[in-house]
Amino acid sequence: MDAFIDKVFLRLLIVFYPMLEKAGVNIHQLNEILRVKLLMDNRRPKAMFAARKRSAVADQSSVKSQWLIGVFALLMGFFISLLLLLNRAPLLGQSLYFTIFMVLMSLTLISDFTTVLIDTRDQFILLPRPVDDRTIAVSRILHITIYVLRLALIQGLPGIIMIGFIDKSVFASLLFLVQIIEATFLCILFVNMIYLLLMKSVSPQKFKDAISYFQVVFSSLIFAAYMLPRLINMSALMHIDLLTHWWAYILPPVWIAALNGVLIHAHQASMITSLLAIIGFTLPLIGLWLVAKVLAPGFNRSLAELAISDGNNNTAKTAAKSQKLDIRDRISDFIASDPIENAGFRITWKLAARTREFKVKVYPSFAFVLIYFLYFALNTRGGSIGQKFNQLQNGFSYLFLVYLSTMILSSILSNIAQSEKYKAAWVYYALPINRPGKILSGMYKAIIAFYFLPYCALLTIAMTFIWGPGVINDAILAFLICTACGMLLALLMVKGLPFSRPISTKQAGGKMIMSLIIPTVIGCLGYGHYLLAKHELVIWIMIIPAALLTWLMLHYYRKQTWESIELDEM
Amino acid sequence: MDHTPLIQIKSLSKSYGSKLVLKHLTLDIYPGQVIGYIGPNGAGKSTTVKILTGLIPDFKGEVIVDGLSMSNNPLEIKKLIGYVPENAEIYDVLTPIEYLDFIGKLYEMEENVLHERAHKLLTAFGLAANLNDRMDTFSKGMKQKVLLISGIIHNPKIIVLDEPLSGLDANAVIMIKELILRLSKEGKTIFYCSHMMDVVEKVSDRILLINQGEIIADGTFESLKQNHSDSLERIFSKLTGREDSGNEADAIINAFD
Repeated sequence: MDAFIDKVFLRLLIVFYPMLEKAGVNIHQLNEILRVKLLMDNRRPKAMFAARKRSAVADQSSVKSQWLIGVFALLMGFFISLLLLLNRAPLLGQSLYFTIFMVLMSLTLISDFTTVLIDTRDQFILLPRPVDDRTIAVSRILHITIYVLRLALIQGLPGIIMIGFIDKSVFASLLFLVQIIEATFLCILFVNMIYLLLMKSVSPQKFKDAISYFQVVFSSLIFAAYMLPRLINMSALMHIDLLTHWWAYILPPVWIAALNGVLIHAHQASMITSLLAIIGFTLPLIGLWLVAKVLAPGFNRSLAELAISDGNNNTAKTAAKSQKLDIRDRISDFIASDPIENAGFRITWKLAARTREFKVKVYPSFAFVLIYFLYFALNTRGGSIGQKFNQLQNGFSYLFLVYLSTMILSSILSNIAQSEKYKAAWVYYALPINRPGKILSGMYKAIIAFYFLPYCALLTIAMTFIWGPGVINDAILAFLICTACGMLLALLMVKGLPFSRPISTKQAGGKMIMSLIIPTVIGCLGYGHYLLAKHELVIWIMIIPAALLTWLMLHYYRKQTWESIELDEM
Repeated sequence: MDHTPLIQIKSLSKSYGSKLVLKHLTLDIYPGQVIGYIGPNGAGKSTTVKILTGLIPDFKGEVIVDGLSMSNNPLEIKKLIGYVPENAEIYDVLTPIEYLDFIGKLYEMEENVLHERAHKLLTAFGLAANLNDRMDTFSKGMKQKVLLISGIIHNPKIIVLDEPLSGLDANAVIMIKELILRLSKEGKTIFYCSHMMDVVEKVSDRILLINQGEIIADGTFESLKQNHSDSLERIFSKLTGREDSGNEADAIINAFD
């Protein structure tokens, strides 16, 4: 089945070949690379996409997670296809649809496919062969395209069906399919062009860092752009005529929507709409040509240097640093005094601070919490922004902000056990460690001390400015409760020692329900806290049992034995 | 022996940041030579190899292979070279036949020539029974053999081997040593990098010793012996300044006191 789909996609790509050949790509090599890469993907029993960066360890849950991703994409596609019902203004409805569609696609691309584009693992296989930059760069992009297209088609399916009914024509559905491919392709090109540009302008040593910060910032931005406009009143939106605003002309989703406007609702279309539709149609082609012709040369070289820079760049830095004892080392000695626990503590923060994968996945959640908060806090009925802010200041919504921060904990915990270099974890199993719980508790303490506590402290300071010093006791109590609940999360989500497991999308199944229950528990505790929040003294007193509880939980968390840790074959 | 050098390296320098890894390396290699390229870790060995095979396009100086300049014509040069890298990655979900088919096509070889040769080579290397097995079940030595084949499948003029014996058992090592001699008789030029002094000693007809980015010894094993010491291991440690390895071992033992 998969092999068949791949063949179809490979055939479809032939459309681009003449143009690529003109741009200097070696078509035979390109076809061969793509064929082999797809063949290999089919042999790895992996999640539908995002799997290619993973190591060769087979993952039994992959079939399940493949379905999950598919179902999720389908659901998402259904929800956003409701926007298409804005039938009075088809152009607007479609523009909105494609905006969200493209945002989701870009997010997926950035979070899952960056590693594919700049994968240096097969450089020893490909680079010594007479294959040029353009061919390799284009093969990577097309390879990503094939994968993203599958996802895009699933996500677009509800829309395709919906539009057939709305416009009462099969042609509209077919056209919508074209539009979805167009939108996906635009996203891929856009993201890749930014990466290739970055590659050209930043030194290879800094490139990976630049990419990871770009990923963090960009996914936060996209998330904000996705959440915050919902605050705008939808019914008011209905009456906007997009084309009277100049900025609408530069938005890619509008170009794509214009295609439907011109061909299906021809009577409403103007010259400008047709022009936009033409832009939308030709731009992906021009983009691909530009990538092959202008951006791709030097790609191999950057890759080669990237691979080398991994080994060579840190020599000077570390020599200078190792001289004086880091203050964080002293903190670690203070908080985790048991030698094994101390080792777990230090390895966690050192690897966490130096592993790009981890940073890219975790850092955006810091921003997400704030964006969520703004969204929920300002999502009240009526009033101007100023009024809303006043309302906010008088309430206890800051509690929500603190409890929402467990999102960060959950994001850290779900990533902390995974690493690309998980094989290095063999040392844990070779060393005489009687209680791995000590390593885990060291890990948890490190997460709290270097990520959660500083974040909460900053929040508290910010909250004190907005709501006054009355928030301090609430913040302390909430912090303790979150820390305690975080340990429950850790028990469920961290199924291995820090950075000891291959990267996979989903943790083992069956725990899904529990991981839904814990946020509910946190929510209930938060609500209880909210009810008591008026009584300052009660909150102060509550801090004592909460601290005890946290301490007690940590005590038992440390007692974990090897049995509770899932071992991986080395 | 032909007297126009096949590989000319002129004043080759390479630096990572401020660290100079290769210092004005100059070297002529003639067709049919087996070069044993040795040196301590971090001496610049793999950097030289990576430049020679076109993996690092960014260097100072000149590298000319068969009259072609590496800076202008890397693709043409890559066609002439077969490279077997150290600790190489391989697409191990493929079968050896599929892998070789892929590699051969990147060299734009004809399919029937390619398949015939792949079969013959795999059989000759003792992998006839595993032609259609996926390589993720292979032992390290079997994978290494496939890598070796992928380095010679296009019948290159120059073969660059970087620790090609790692993971191979004693019989395979003997076979590879024999193979190197035979290939050089066929007129192939071989660039052989290794830490295994005894093998280098036996297969190479010219030994290059690199230390801190400079070539500090160049000649046949016989000529090196006359000037320095009686085994290549000794020569190596003498020239790279580690003659006092006895003292080092002492220091290590003393560390426990």
